Amino acid sequence: MSSLRETVENKEVGLIDILDVILDKGVAIKGDLIISIAGVDLVYLDLRVLIASVETLVQSYENDQSGVTSDNFDEQRRELVDATGQPNKWTD
Amino acid sequence: MDKKIYLYGLIPAAEADQQPLPSVEGFDGEGKLYTFPIDDITAVVCDLDPNEYAEESIEQKINNDLEWLQKKAFHHHEALTLLYNNYTVIPLKFCTIYNSEESLQQSIKSNGDKVENSFQLLKGNEEWNLKIYCDEDQLKQQVSQNNTTIEEKRKEIKELPPGRQFFERKKIDHLIEKELDKEKDRLCDHIHEQLKTYAVQADVKKNWGKDVTGLKENMSWNSVYLLPVAKVEAFLAKVESEEKGLDGSGLRLEASGPWPAYHFSSFS
Repeated sequence: MSSLRETVENKEVGLIDILDVILDKGVAIKGDLIISIAGVDLVYLDLRVLIASVETLVQSYENDQSGVTSDNFDEQRRELVDATGQPNKWTD
Repeated sequence: MDKKIYLYGLIPAAEADQQPLPSVEGFDGEGKLYTFPIDDITAVVCDLDPNEYAEESIEQKINNDLEWLQKKAFHHHEALTLLYNNYTVIPLKFCTIYNSEESLQQSIKSNGDKVENSFQLLKGNEEWNLKIYCDEDQLKQQVSQNNTTIEEKRKEIKELPPGRQFFERKKIDHLIEKELDKEKDRLCDHIHEQLKTYAVQADVKKNWGKDVTGLKENMSWNSVYLLPVAKVEAFLAKVESEEKGLDGSGLRLEASGPWPAYHFSSFS
């Protein structure tokens, strides 16, 4: 039986989970996202701009359900295995 | 103009010397990541063309080119995951870009102590995230049936003349909403207090709106924990048992990790 840890580790993470962590403090502290550390020589981005971008992204996903899912990834993998005639080293 | 430097993360020089950096494509898809030693700290960076990656043009891209944003966010995440799997790493936020090698050097040198403290803190500990989502209709039903404040209000209304009952019933809907929020906070807070006991450090973060998550449920809680590796399994078991205990309340717990320690490490 696999550990809880393995189960959670292997779960798919969404874009929002990734943005949530990689923008961590910018999001948590104030409205304007500081994508940088100090002073003049770094890039500043407006959080509202980014949130708006993500909203649009989510909407475009909702309209187009053919995005990358683990199901269609698996399907493509099987097709590749068939096409190459190589033994399948990934178990289903 | 100097080349710009995209900073991915900082690793202890001793670890960087022991294990060469795996080959990873840079942020622009052309160059490669490389190491840049600064005293006992090794920065993992890549070069960027100063004209192409000016502040305005990055902002422009994020504004108008969603595919770009998504691709680059994933790139940043993947590069950091690879570093995380090989080294003790202080991950930098997305798009941390310096105008020159000198400014990078200067910024790291002046924060050497903080970097060292972060390395120490991260040893043997992992960053995990918990998000709690709420199906409000379901929780509302529960609140509406089991809440004493609402129960009392209902009894009061029954005693009133029919004309007034109508208006008072309207008010009760408002009361249910308020009690719903209270109940949600109470449940989430209780879970967080339980989980905190496993952690070296814990923080509550901002919730994201439905528009951003694309989910039907509301995000009701977003917290982050720095857990000793040996306690992760017990932490996750607790998440599972808390969720089971909430059966029927409409709350759903979602743990994810381990993440490079974006939240618990810093050098500025």
